[in-house]
Amino acid sequence: MTAESNGNKGADPFEGFKNMRDAYLEGMSKVMIDAVNSEEYAQATGTLLTNYLTFTAPFREALDKTMVMALEQLSLPSRQQVTSLAERFTNLEMKLDDIDAKLDRMIGNLEMKLHDTDAKLDRIVGNLEMTLHGTDAKLDRIADNLDMKLQGTDAKLDRIAELSSAARAPVAEATPAPKQPTKVETKPPHQASGKKR
Amino acid sequence: MTQATDMSSDMLAMSEKLKIFNRLMTTKAAIAQTPKELVWTLNKAKLYRYIPVVPASERHPVPLLLVFALMNRPTILDLRPGHSFVEYMVGRGYDVYLLDWGIPGPEDKNLKFDDYTLDYMPRAIRKMKAISGSNEFSLLGWCIGAILTTIYASLRPDDGLRNLLLLTAPLDFSDKKSLTFAKWTDEKYFDVDKVLAAFGNMPGEMIDYGAKALKPVENYLGNYCKLWDSLDDPNVVEAWHSMNTWVTDIFPMAGGAYRQLIEDLYRNNRLVRGELQIRGEVVNLKRLRANLLNVIAQGDHITPPCQSEAILPKVGSTDQEIYRVRGGHIGIMAGSGAHKHTWPHIDSWLALRSH
Repeated sequence: MTAESNGNKGADPFEGFKNMRDAYLEGMSKVMIDAVNSEEYAQATGTLLTNYLTFTAPFREALDKTMVMALEQLSLPSRQQVTSLAERFTNLEMKLDDIDAKLDRMIGNLEMKLHDTDAKLDRIVGNLEMTLHGTDAKLDRIADNLDMKLQGTDAKLDRIAELSSAARAPVAEATPAPKQPTKVETKPPHQASGKKR
Repeated sequence: MTQATDMSSDMLAMSEKLKIFNRLMTTKAAIAQTPKELVWTLNKAKLYRYIPVVPASERHPVPLLLVFALMNRPTILDLRPGHSFVEYMVGRGYDVYLLDWGIPGPEDKNLKFDDYTLDYMPRAIRKMKAISGSNEFSLLGWCIGAILTTIYASLRPDDGLRNLLLLTAPLDFSDKKSLTFAKWTDEKYFDVDKVLAAFGNMPGEMIDYGAKALKPVENYLGNYCKLWDSLDDPNVVEAWHSMNTWVTDIFPMAGGAYRQLIEDLYRNNRLVRGELQIRGEVVNLKRLRANLLNVIAQGDHITPPCQSEAILPKVGSTDQEIYRVRGGHIGIMAGSGAHKHTWPHIDSWLALRSH
């Protein structure tokens, strides 16, 4: 009993039913697809809808009129009025969106111009820097040249000083030192002949 | 005794299944979880930017804007973590934006394709360009979003659109025999003016019924039977829950746009014929010069492949490609195989054209 139960446990008792069901649904599906694709179906649904709308139209109109009158009495807005208000809100939204778009464009243009200006300023600053660098280099060269010239002049002056010193020394040897005023001895003539005692 | 034990365990299993089934039917899954920030709004429309995860230096410089249909949530593009196209593309280094059209109110019943393509889209794109710092962008349009992006790309080719990706694009309505919607909305049977006069906007319930009625047995019965059979598989359950959360999030479509969809496109095929006028300007597809990737779902019963194929010879794009992928209208992007086929192909195509 138990073995039989265990052996049969795997089998789905509803399998047969499912297969029948699926086969039925498949068959019915094809029939129904053909049916809904037919002119008769289109005509039938069209007629049904038209009749419904025609039949209910007077009731809908009456209901609408009654509702409008009741709402007026209660000082409440009708559907038409609320709808009209909503349409105006939508128009306002569109205008706001247009303003938003214009602001975006203006901001975009400003940013572009700022970017261009920024780029120009960068170029100007770059040029100035290059010019200053060039001027700086020239000044350095001038300073170097001046240094060299000053050194040269300095050397010349030193040379002149040396030469001046050198020139003064022989002149001093050739030119005796100024004597002290001496007595002029007048020697007798015979003494003046050079005999010496 | 053993039989009783088996019966009680079977009953327990059945009870668990019913609990899970009840949870799936009565709760909403957490979808659209990829982090994003709101960067722009107009009326009900919102533009979201997804928070980048790749450093700016490694990101594609050309941003990508996703545009979905008008009558469904765009959260299908970000279904759940691990199965999200948005998450995938953000991880691949794209700067991703999403345009959520929002839910139209009674005041929006006169909104048309003209407003969406010449008011909302250019403003959203302007904001995207301002935030991304790029003058060029890529646009992905899916379903009705593909109609809107095609119109925009043709009317404003010089706004910086570099790449256009169309997914299951319903652009050509000439083969009416293949288009069930075309039969249902034929002027003999469907009075669009009467419907819009009664409701203002096209009710979401009617659009939802129309989409499900294309395959009524699958959508109203088979879907739930497959779920019941797979309740033991948590992956299938969570995938179903996410998809169902998106599918059931229905809302109306703006009346003016719906009227254009039926009269200008379904009935008269004006876009492909070159007769569609948007604010007095004829939509000339030859002016569409962006690089073009046209993704076609081979199993699509909502937008059959014939609706997307005719566009390529009509546009002015020199760089164009058709990518055919197995799957349905939604499945090619949100199904289990999307991350293996569609997403990598979109990434590889776009990566080459986003520098």
